[in-house]
Amino acid sequence: MANNDSRRIRVTEYLDLDLDQERWSCNRCGHIIGPARDNYKKGCLLYDRDPREIHAPIVEGPYGFSPDPLWVRIVEFYCPQCGTQIETEYLPPGHPITWDIEINIDALKARLSSGELVIKDQRLEAAE
Amino acid sequence: MPIPTLAEKLQWLKPAPATEFERECAQAVRPGDYEIGVQITNDILDEAMEIFIRSSRSYFGVSGDSMVAIFTAEGDLINASCGTYLHAIIQPIIIKFIRKYYQENPGIRDGDIFYTNDALYGGIHNPDQVAIMPVFHDGRLIAWATAALHTTETGAIEPGGMPVTAKSRFEEGLNLPPIKIGENFKLRNDFLEFYSVYGLRAPAMFHSDLRARCTTADRVRVRLLEQVEKRGVEFVVGLMRKMLDTAEAGAFQKVKSLPDGKFRSVVFNDAIGWHPALVRACFLTLTKQGDRLTFDFNGTSPENPSSYNVHTQAVVGHIANFMYEYFFHDLPICSSTFAPIDFVFPEGILLNPDKLAATSCCVYIGMQTRCATHNCFAKMMFSSGSGWRQVASAPGSQHTAQICSGHSQWNLAVSDVLSFSLNTQGQGGRAADDGMDAYGFAWCAFGRAPDCEQVEGELPLTVTLSQHWKDSSGPGLHRGGSGAVQQWMIHKVPQMLSLCMGNGSKVPLGQPLFGGYASAPIPGISVKHADLKQRMQDGDPDLVLDHRTLFEKQGIQGDWKFELIARTPDMYAEGDLLFGFSGGGPGYGDPLERPAESVMEDLKKKIISEWTAKNVYQVAVDAEGRKANQSQTEELRRGERQARRARGKSYEEFMKEWSKKSPPKEILEWYGSWPDAKPTGPIFRP
Repeated sequence: MANNDSRRIRVTEYLDLDLDQERWSCNRCGHIIGPARDNYKKGCLLYDRDPREIHAPIVEGPYGFSPDPLWVRIVEFYCPQCGTQIETEYLPPGHPITWDIEINIDALKARLSSGELVIKDQRLEAAE
Repeated sequence: MPIPTLAEKLQWLKPAPATEFERECAQAVRPGDYEIGVQITNDILDEAMEIFIRSSRSYFGVSGDSMVAIFTAEGDLINASCGTYLHAIIQPIIIKFIRKYYQENPGIRDGDIFYTNDALYGGIHNPDQVAIMPVFHDGRLIAWATAALHTTETGAIEPGGMPVTAKSRFEEGLNLPPIKIGENFKLRNDFLEFYSVYGLRAPAMFHSDLRARCTTADRVRVRLLEQVEKRGVEFVVGLMRKMLDTAEAGAFQKVKSLPDGKFRSVVFNDAIGWHPALVRACFLTLTKQGDRLTFDFNGTSPENPSSYNVHTQAVVGHIANFMYEYFFHDLPICSSTFAPIDFVFPEGILLNPDKLAATSCCVYIGMQTRCATHNCFAKMMFSSGSGWRQVASAPGSQHTAQICSGHSQWNLAVSDVLSFSLNTQGQGGRAADDGMDAYGFAWCAFGRAPDCEQVEGELPLTVTLSQHWKDSSGPGLHRGGSGAVQQWMIHKVPQMLSLCMGNGSKVPLGQPLFGGYASAPIPGISVKHADLKQRMQDGDPDLVLDHRTLFEKQGIQGDWKFELIARTPDMYAEGDLLFGFSGGGPGYGDPLERPAESVMEDLKKKIISEWTAKNVYQVAVDAEGRKANQSQTEELRRGERQARRARGKSYEEFMKEWSKKSPPKEILEWYGSWPDAKPTGPIFRP
């Protein structure tokens, strides 16, 4: 495994954190999504989906097993290169997008440098 | 009045420092004896839980929505049998209150029984009631034993124990601060008389559950004293202290292993009582630094004049459900596990309301704090080699909490909730697997769906359909577990009063994870003047009791009604139908990555519809709906990924349009200011 890969950590199913480059990248295709000190969602493609396209109505009317599109939308976040759906958020229309992951990069680097943590198979382990 | 302040409650959640006697005793507990001792506490509690379930009358009791626990003399929980983890962390608040304020008057003596259900003093909400007994040995207080259970009646302005229209605590029926209800191992008759009038709607259940709590707590007390006789008081006291210390060390170690940072999640609710209304039920910022975690709820909507508010420790109770099912799954149920955890509750949010607030329906807001906790932990734990397998979406939390009130076929007064649609919710999709179908109750992982025949014997209805609810689970690489559906027909009584609590008809409640989708919303459905009973009596060969077919084709004649899940009290006549749903779990991961064979298996098991297989999972299903065409499926999925890249917009471009949007003003009455949910005015309560 290359040195760069040994410092790559899986933070979600689809998001890798490259600690040396301090960048988010797509776990599926390797596309660089953006700076790791910023919200990765800024490097994705975003789509405002009518929730009835996923949760199809079973009966007509306002209570037909579908979310109300005036109340809530599905914001989908795609990898710009491979089109993997990295994340979704169910938000009222216009609600701010959540900065959900803000890892303290400096603290993580320090813990790795001190030997408190090691990276094994792209995941963090306490040093034995 | 010494109603505990927020600061006191948060302080009492933390374990008390060891006394000198405890420290000496703990040091004397040898390895080997310690492990045996821990198992003895498990055995004591499991025996007591069995007694509890068999002695309870309410369906929450029968289903096991309860907790039996042992505490140190200082009031810290050392082990519990659950049931529900809701009470696990927070009951020390009640015991420490009793210790602080009741030492002299009314005193704490051998044989005392204390009791409370008031959330101001440390409970969840007033249907959750707990019996508390001190354990004395040779005149010395050495421990406490408790038994907590949700009883579905409190003598409130509506039957069922969770009055939806309550605007202040004064409309919630029985709200009992900690009180001594028994002395010398006997319940006081004056208390029983006082208590009884709050249970007039369902006296048998109300009384039985009270006695079940007391007898259960006493069994724990008796068994602990047997151990004292057998192994010595020093061993029992030392064991308890060592359990606290060991669990605390384990919790700090687990927290420390995670990456530092801030993790956020926002979850919404779509109803305040019976009124559709959007609130930001939980805005959670979870900060992890070193070996400490801080839950900060700044940004949550303001309190409101309904019973959909949550007192702070009840929020902690909801979070405990997540912690013990997942993150602390390998630690004992011990309050010292929360020693590394701090909480920030801004004043006036609906997670920290005024003391006059009604909170009887707090669980419909509190669950959103669990949902947000799932998502924050998922994003904190996925990078952990030891923790990533515990990553999971929140469980399905929308449900039909249908209250039946009236008389049974035996002419006994009843007021109870139908537990099937609570205890069969789907688990959220997991990092390593799908969520389990009908796994349990989001508030009580070990809750069991009650036996149909028992329900039919005691309540005025018959169960005519029990199925997995098709398309209830959230799609994903690992889909959420399926919820379930039952159909109830009013039976052998002329009429029954029913109302319903719940939420999730407009907005899915739990956020999915990592590109999955949420689970389906739940409507309230009833059919008055239904012809089902007649057709069953006639043996109609064309009758199809498949829920999806019934909804799509309305194959039962009658007055169908689809409405908000939360419904006001109404009378239903013999033969009328109600439907109860338990929510599916939200999904995990991109649905386009779910293997086509798994999608076909879901189809075969009727967990999903063919529409979902084709349109959400993009699987090419053959004409008979039995096989997937792999190459066509790959082509469909390739096309969908291309379509995503074509329709997706850059963040800046997206925000230009998105930030101009907002929900309709009429649904934001209780949201606070848009979009940041700040208070917009004072709350007036009767």
